[in-house]
Amino acid sequence: MPPIIKKLFIWGNLGLVLFLIASVARDESREWKKYQKKFFELEAQELQTKLASSADEEEKHSLEKQIRAKKKAGLEVRQMIVGDLNRIDRCITCHVGMDPLSNPALETPFKENPYRGHPGDFLKTHAPNKYGCTVCHQGQGLATTVKDAHGFVKHWEEPLLKPPFIQASCAKCHANFENIPYAQTAKLGKELFTKNGCYGCHAIKGWGGIISEDLGEIASKPLSRALAGLDLSKTKLSEDQMNIQTYIMLHLTKDPMELVPGDPLGHMGDPISPSGMPPFYLELKEDEAKAIATYLMSMASEKMPHDYYVYAPPKPEPSFDSPAERGKYVYQKYGCAACHGVEAKDGHRNFNAQGPGQDPNAEDQIAQMAKGKEPNLRETAGTFTREELRVKIQNGVPSTDIVKFKADGPTPPLYMPAWKDKIKGQELEDLITYLLSIAKKGEEW
Amino acid sequence: MAGSTQTPETPKTNGLEALLAKITGNGFKLPSNADEAKKLVTNSQVWRSVFRGGVWKNTPRDRAAHIIGNVWLHLHPVRVRPRALKITYSWGMGGISFWLFLLLTISGILLMFYYRPSPDMAYRDMKDLEFAVSYGWFWRNMHRWGAHAMVITVILHMIRVFLTGAYKSPREFNWVIGVVLLSLTLFLSFTGYLLPWDQLALWAVTVGTNMAGATPFLGNEGPFSALLNIRINNDVRFGLLGGTTVGEATLIRFYVLHCVFVPVIAGALLMLHFWRIRKDSFSAAPYSPNEEKVEVWPNLIAREYVAAALTTVAILVWTLLINAPLEEAANPTVTPNPSKAPWYFLGLQELLVYFDPWIAGVLLPNLIIVGLCAIPYIDRNPKGVGYYAWKERPFANTMFLFGVAMWFILIYIGYACRGPAWAWYWPWENWNVHKAPPPATWNIPNLVGGPMMALYFALGIGLPRLIKKELDWRVAIPTTALLSITAGLSLKIFHTLLVNKMDFIAQNIPHFGLGGFVLVSVFLFITIFFGFLMPQRYIREAPFFAIYGPTMTLALLTIGVILKMGARLGFNIKYVFSIPQVNFNI
Repeated sequence: MPPIIKKLFIWGNLGLVLFLIASVARDESREWKKYQKKFFELEAQELQTKLASSADEEEKHSLEKQIRAKKKAGLEVRQMIVGDLNRIDRCITCHVGMDPLSNPALETPFKENPYRGHPGDFLKTHAPNKYGCTVCHQGQGLATTVKDAHGFVKHWEEPLLKPPFIQASCAKCHANFENIPYAQTAKLGKELFTKNGCYGCHAIKGWGGIISEDLGEIASKPLSRALAGLDLSKTKLSEDQMNIQTYIMLHLTKDPMELVPGDPLGHMGDPISPSGMPPFYLELKEDEAKAIATYLMSMASEKMPHDYYVYAPPKPEPSFDSPAERGKYVYQKYGCAACHGVEAKDGHRNFNAQGPGQDPNAEDQIAQMAKGKEPNLRETAGTFTREELRVKIQNGVPSTDIVKFKADGPTPPLYMPAWKDKIKGQELEDLITYLLSIAKKGEEW
Repeated sequence: MAGSTQTPETPKTNGLEALLAKITGNGFKLPSNADEAKKLVTNSQVWRSVFRGGVWKNTPRDRAAHIIGNVWLHLHPVRVRPRALKITYSWGMGGISFWLFLLLTISGILLMFYYRPSPDMAYRDMKDLEFAVSYGWFWRNMHRWGAHAMVITVILHMIRVFLTGAYKSPREFNWVIGVVLLSLTLFLSFTGYLLPWDQLALWAVTVGTNMAGATPFLGNEGPFSALLNIRINNDVRFGLLGGTTVGEATLIRFYVLHCVFVPVIAGALLMLHFWRIRKDSFSAAPYSPNEEKVEVWPNLIAREYVAAALTTVAILVWTLLINAPLEEAANPTVTPNPSKAPWYFLGLQELLVYFDPWIAGVLLPNLIIVGLCAIPYIDRNPKGVGYYAWKERPFANTMFLFGVAMWFILIYIGYACRGPAWAWYWPWENWNVHKAPPPATWNIPNLVGGPMMALYFALGIGLPRLIKKELDWRVAIPTTALLSITAGLSLKIFHTLLVNKMDFIAQNIPHFGLGGFVLVSVFLFITIFFGFLMPQRYIREAPFFAIYGPTMTLALLTIGVILKMGARLGFNIKYVFSIPQVNFNI
């Protein structure tokens, strides 16, 4: 037998033993074990201090027994099987203090995660065995490592909802979430969504404009679909950090034109406009953007059993003293602000439409096209008669009628839809009254 | 050795001895040293009932009996020729492939305990294996990586067998069985690919099985299928999937195919494969003088053990370092862009750029299998059996390696160089940067394309035979190179001159840059070298119907693939010949 075979025989066997031991070591040292172990140690310590201060013999005996039990406690994967919601949540493997079986009180004296009990009294009204964890918190319930379970990993699309996004989960089931004190950020988000006219382009479950996508299930949008056409090079995010939470935030805190640059100069064929979404990042504060994102994160596609929902009657239409005030409400309700600005202060960007200060000879044509704007209603409404304004709102302005800045550039992405089927009757009349009331008065002819 | 240092027996052990003597019913003595202890065990009735043969004395007879008397080893001969032991000869790839097959069987059976083949549960079971089941990750990683490794080792085994001419008479049929086993290995891996039921699985299998829908006559998108009233819900793809899309019926079908159906067939063919190796003798290399066979035990068995151990170590390291991939749960409504087939089929997927699916996905893979099976019946060169024969088999070796290289280059392109919308992205390029769509394509009119193809095959088969004398390659190769470069260069010049003058060129071939020049030159050189110079030099005098014709047909088809690639990449040509009414496009 050649010596090389003998050597390889020894090394091969050594390798087998070594790597099998390594495999055993890897399996035995699973990450969750150290947290569970630490939890029981902390509990034992807690009992130890109680023992030191105890005088009663019988109590001492019982405490010692308890300490021994904690020290001998077997480590195991713990899980809650929530049949109604089709979930298996293993979060309590590390967050042992929240395990309703081993710790029915669901309280611990510890302040730090993962050893503490569940804050607030949520679990009193949301029994853990009926709700589990991930239905509110998201994350990967089946996983048992910190990174995977919290879900900020590639190929897991529902990572942990951190404050304030966690409020979205209240709004998922509670139709009256605006009355819940814990969900005030979600409430603010809904208000801002209306105030900024998001409804003008985005419907929610069928109610709203059709210029862009319905956001009714935006929280469950498949990431690969969200990422298609998105240019992340100008953000500092890698694809791994992308999830729907950051996706929504990016649209509100960055210029959507940079995220979805399109192909305005037609390098690859017909010119394609960048994202038509106006640059709301100029108007929204970080907190406000987060509020809107929180509200939108409640728009998940998951259907729950009906007894998990808290129903609320629809809000009555508010009443107003004057037609102009009601008109202002109509302006907000249908999302006119999306293009014409909050309270019609100024028009938003409409790429490659005509706008002030455009220079056809400038070097950077994209920047010039980006100066395209929707009309400022305070400036223009006054040039219409009441009848003309009515026709305009009823029929809208199709993209083909919008005068382009650069004739061979892309079609401006925003247009005025025909509102005749939506805004009609008294609402339409009041809207016109409102617009004429704020319009700059032209010269009387 | 131990006996000399042992203390005298104490009465207590005597008691035990007495007790044991009572139980066994005869005079029982405790062993006083290791040899005696060993003898005691191996001579015991229990031992002798399990292991046949007497006490191991390490005589030639013992070593022979070890092979013959052991069911696990008896497929080996008792003695082999020493050359068969050489790792440089066999690469150990057949044995390693079989060891991986066993490893995959073991890990696969263990995985079956935790896996339920239903869309609701399969993905969750994968997560369980990773996060909750003890050693679940270990067996799953090992199964996944072992499967990839086996595809590679089986292909390497085939290459080795080819290069040593080990398929020649009387082993032709065993080579055919080997080709079938290679196909089964790929099919096993492919059916297993679906089982995790994640996005990777669903879409890779969708890409792979869509090809079946392009089968001529029997697939709903294949040529001539309309003649047989074949629809999407009664074609071969429907039979494979159990539906019109990959769904729960597909999962259970693939599960049964993967766990029972294919392994049983592969196992049966493995037996046949080994049996024939044995019966046709291990190596047919010419005997060298004074060559004496060596004993299989321990010479071959030790090497087999070492190979298996080292393979296992490699798989273990792979298992420990990298987890088997698991993407999002399968979602039939979300198509990843790009969707890629399993890596070993990516060459065929890449060919979809240049050919209709019935060619790239059905005709070519079947031609490859048939062509491989035909090799031992075409290659009747009696030389080069059982050893590397670069000088005696230059034509066979070169043409085979050319095909293998093409297969792997295409796989590399599909794997590393294709991004969203199957656009060309270099491996270092970011997929977020959008690429222009490929230029518009055009078809060569049938009246031109048909005769062109006929001419290609006629000249390809005729020319090498027409010139009877041997060409001097010192002249021929530089001439070919020069010719190829000149052709590329003149095309470039013609294009520059004519692109603005002829509407036809401006419209159909708007760009023909440096890339086009290199492409034309290289592809032309390959065509002339493999299609003319090689056969002209080596097989121009071979019998036409038995050897020359079939060989040239296979060679010209292979080169035709390259020519069609060049036509598409350089000149934006989609079809050379097209009958759209029956989906027959080349």
